[in-house]
Amino acid sequence: MLFTQKMSQIGLVVPAQYGFQVAVLLNKERIFHQIDNSNLYTDTGPGSPEDWRKRAASYANLENRLLSNMKLLGIQPGDQPGNNLAALERMYAVQPETDRLEREVLELSDSLTEVQDELNLCQGYIQQLEAIVDVALELPVCPNSRFLFCLFGFVPTTNIERLRASLARIDCLLLPLQQGQPTTFVMLAGSRKDQSVLERAARSAYLNPLSLPEGMLGTPAVWLNRLKRRMQKLQEEIRNQTQLRETYCDQIRSLYWRVHTSRLLATTLSRFGKLHYTYVIQGWLPYQQLSEFEKKLKGISEDILIEVQVAARGGMGQGVPVALNHRGIFHAFESLVMNYNRPHYNEIDPTILLTITFPILFGFMFGDVGHGLVLVLIGILLASQRIGVLKRFAELGQIIIVCGMASVLFGGLFGSVFGLDDLFAAFWIRPMENILHILIVTVAGGVILLSLAYLLSLYNLAISRRRGAFFFSPQGLAGLMLYWSLIGLAVDLFNPGILPIPNSILTGVGIASAVAVMFSEALTHLVEGRRPLIKGGVATYIVQAFFELFETVIGYISNSLSYVRVGAFAVAHAGLSAVVFILAEMVGSSQHPGYWVVVILGTLFIIGFEGLIVTIQTLRLEYYEFFSKFFRGGGIPYQPLEIK
Amino acid sequence: MYGNLLSRDDWDHLSSITDAGALIEALKGTVYGAYINRVKAEDLTTRRVEYEMHKYLADAFGVVIKHIPDHARALMIQLYRLYEVDNLKATLRGLVLRESWEQIRYTLFPYGNSTVLPAKAITESGTVEEAVALLQGTPYYHTLVHALERYEKEQNLFPLEVALDLDYWRELWRLLNRLSLSDRQPTMPMIGGLLDICNLIWALRYRIYYHLSEEEIINYTLPFGYKIHDEQIQAIAAGEDIVRIIKEACPDLPHPDELLQDPLRGLPKLELWMQQKVYEACHSAMLGYPFHFGVPLAFLLLTEYEIQDLTVLLEAASLQIPIDRYKRFRVSALPMGLTV
Repeated sequence: MLFTQKMSQIGLVVPAQYGFQVAVLLNKERIFHQIDNSNLYTDTGPGSPEDWRKRAASYANLENRLLSNMKLLGIQPGDQPGNNLAALERMYAVQPETDRLEREVLELSDSLTEVQDELNLCQGYIQQLEAIVDVALELPVCPNSRFLFCLFGFVPTTNIERLRASLARIDCLLLPLQQGQPTTFVMLAGSRKDQSVLERAARSAYLNPLSLPEGMLGTPAVWLNRLKRRMQKLQEEIRNQTQLRETYCDQIRSLYWRVHTSRLLATTLSRFGKLHYTYVIQGWLPYQQLSEFEKKLKGISEDILIEVQVAARGGMGQGVPVALNHRGIFHAFESLVMNYNRPHYNEIDPTILLTITFPILFGFMFGDVGHGLVLVLIGILLASQRIGVLKRFAELGQIIIVCGMASVLFGGLFGSVFGLDDLFAAFWIRPMENILHILIVTVAGGVILLSLAYLLSLYNLAISRRRGAFFFSPQGLAGLMLYWSLIGLAVDLFNPGILPIPNSILTGVGIASAVAVMFSEALTHLVEGRRPLIKGGVATYIVQAFFELFETVIGYISNSLSYVRVGAFAVAHAGLSAVVFILAEMVGSSQHPGYWVVVILGTLFIIGFEGLIVTIQTLRLEYYEFFSKFFRGGGIPYQPLEIK
Repeated sequence: MYGNLLSRDDWDHLSSITDAGALIEALKGTVYGAYINRVKAEDLTTRRVEYEMHKYLADAFGVVIKHIPDHARALMIQLYRLYEVDNLKATLRGLVLRESWEQIRYTLFPYGNSTVLPAKAITESGTVEEAVALLQGTPYYHTLVHALERYEKEQNLFPLEVALDLDYWRELWRLLNRLSLSDRQPTMPMIGGLLDICNLIWALRYRIYYHLSEEEIINYTLPFGYKIHDEQIQAIAAGEDIVRIIKEACPDLPHPDELLQDPLRGLPKLELWMQQKVYEACHSAMLGYPFHFGVPLAFLLLTEYEIQDLTVLLEAASLQIPIDRYKRFRVSALPMGLTV
């Protein structure tokens, strides 16, 4: 549990005729993390990596075209329909099918756009004609007359007189047909020879000409009825075409998944190494699932050769993918670890430690039975996934439940319920009444956590066989001894004689380990046989080493004291809760509704605002004080083949 | 009110300063100081100082609008809206030229909270059509929606801007004529004078610069005015002799023949002379019987001219132009005659 899953590297030599079946099995089982072997062998004939790459590219091309068509239809690929893994579609079959669907979808889409455009045009005409429906004049008047120029349109009512004035010098008729605000429908008529003057005047008076349907002849009322009937027909046509579209949706989705599956299988095959008659396949899978997987491979053919090498911690850990398989609450806390870094194969996975220490630190800082129960309820609400928009916070809900329970536990130890400390006696102590005591306890807790972190660091250094760092680095044995001797000396200073170890021994161990830490670089090089022992001049090295030691010691002190905040927040939480009740009492007695309004708002503020701050502080302590001592991360993600 | 305007001594002192930085420092000692001092020293460009001085004017408009009697308030609000129309035009130009809000914001008049323009949203709207849609519910919406058809055909802001201007001045004239005779009489030379400047200069520009046809000039101008009448506008549109028309409309204009010999140079001078007449009318309104609407109006217009002249001063100082070269561009500095 303290490590990521044990992995085994597997190499397969598969007779060429079983290559496809093996590719299907690898995708179906969803446990095989494939290594690209295609560059190791140079076969370029049929069934070679190059050949499969080309096929994968062809499938990818079809897939993209189908996706574009789906976008045109406004649909998503959805979930994979059933299990169609066994099929590798023939290009000569799926290509024409894609062509046909693409053509029909395009035709449908064009036709739909055309109908929609005509509908919009109709709406525009109707809007204009509705404004002049009472005009009993057949439009257009004398459309092709050689001598008469006639213009109908809407002009701002305030512009009419000015338009009339501008046309005073020519013979023409400006006739308002339907008065309105802010525009009036007018007819402007004159001699054809004055057309340009009339047009300029109309344009400069902001006369927007009436745009009529082509070939229109009749009164606006007649045309309005015709256009409304046409609009109904167009709407009916849009409905029919939308229904037709639905039938294409199923076809196109089905074809998409067939092509998509073929593309993934072809990609898998393109990463196989190809000899003349065999495929050479390499990859990783969890050790636990190895024997079952071997059986399934042998089920395809007894001729498949399987070579397995279990990845030991330490030696060959560099390229090993890291599989995490935490479940339940551990899976929820795994996301917090991944937020920091992915564990490396050669180091301890801190998920379980985080699952234990995070709620303890949170609960200590936010210890209150009432507030904790509210957090539990909020967590249950999120984890239950009953509210659609909050579904993605289900894992956060689990973390909140655990933290809430820790708050309830510490609330019991502190004797606090919604800030009231007189409901029952504290099972341990009341933070507000024992401030110094609680701060000392939290620093002691911090020392224990940091010691644990240094011990874990020792373990990680040991399994990764970094001998020099194990003995001499600030995170190694010398660092741990120095830290403990400093702690011991500090304890002895404030409580002389409390430790069973004499002061002189602590001092001696402290000096020796300080020297080791100070010269850790040279000593590491010496032990590991690396030369030169130091880079640059001796004097520079000593000055640099001294300041590094100084920084290390300061780091030990500041890291330990950093945990004081746990106690400080416990006190602050109790204080803040008390303030809420003081404010409530200022508003009125407990019979006064204002009292309860202040109490409820104050409690919400504490849970929301202080809860957020405490979460940030807890994360800070975990990431920067605890993880940084032993957890490097940088693992390779385990990505098994699968069709999705 | 009158005491808030810069005195002759102030003008002499400010005109003697030739360095822009020193001039800004000197302005801090005037009524504009309270506004200029709010800006960090490194942000104090001449444009920013102008912007801050306009804030003073905006506040003055706010105070006057709040305290004048109800019957005159609508006219004062409409007069103040002139700056909003200018802001709208500037914002639309910025939109078409793809300028950012940061580039545009300090070129606008600081209209304050009473503006109905979502200027930033207009700048970021992407197209003029979308910008017009944002103006729904404002007094400009119907005018612009109707003119939009021409913008879409011509891809030019000219029809939108003309439509806005005509609509604005028609409404201002309508409100002016609703005033009682006692209020209208002192107000007419000022607002009517402003309208005359616009109408005459529009007509002359359309004819001289843009060579528009008679019917276009008539449709793009107004049929009313204080001293400039529709017959004169229509005569300009019809291509009649401009000098004769100007002599008839402005009989006390000095050297009209000389002035309009080169119309391209003469038009700005004519405009300045007409502004001086309004300036003179504003001073006249301040004298005599004080209980009429013309007094606060005159104060606001004089402040506007004062800021206009201070801007000339600032720009001249920043470009190191000597006083004798820029003095003729100031409305308030000239005696009431024109040096051609």
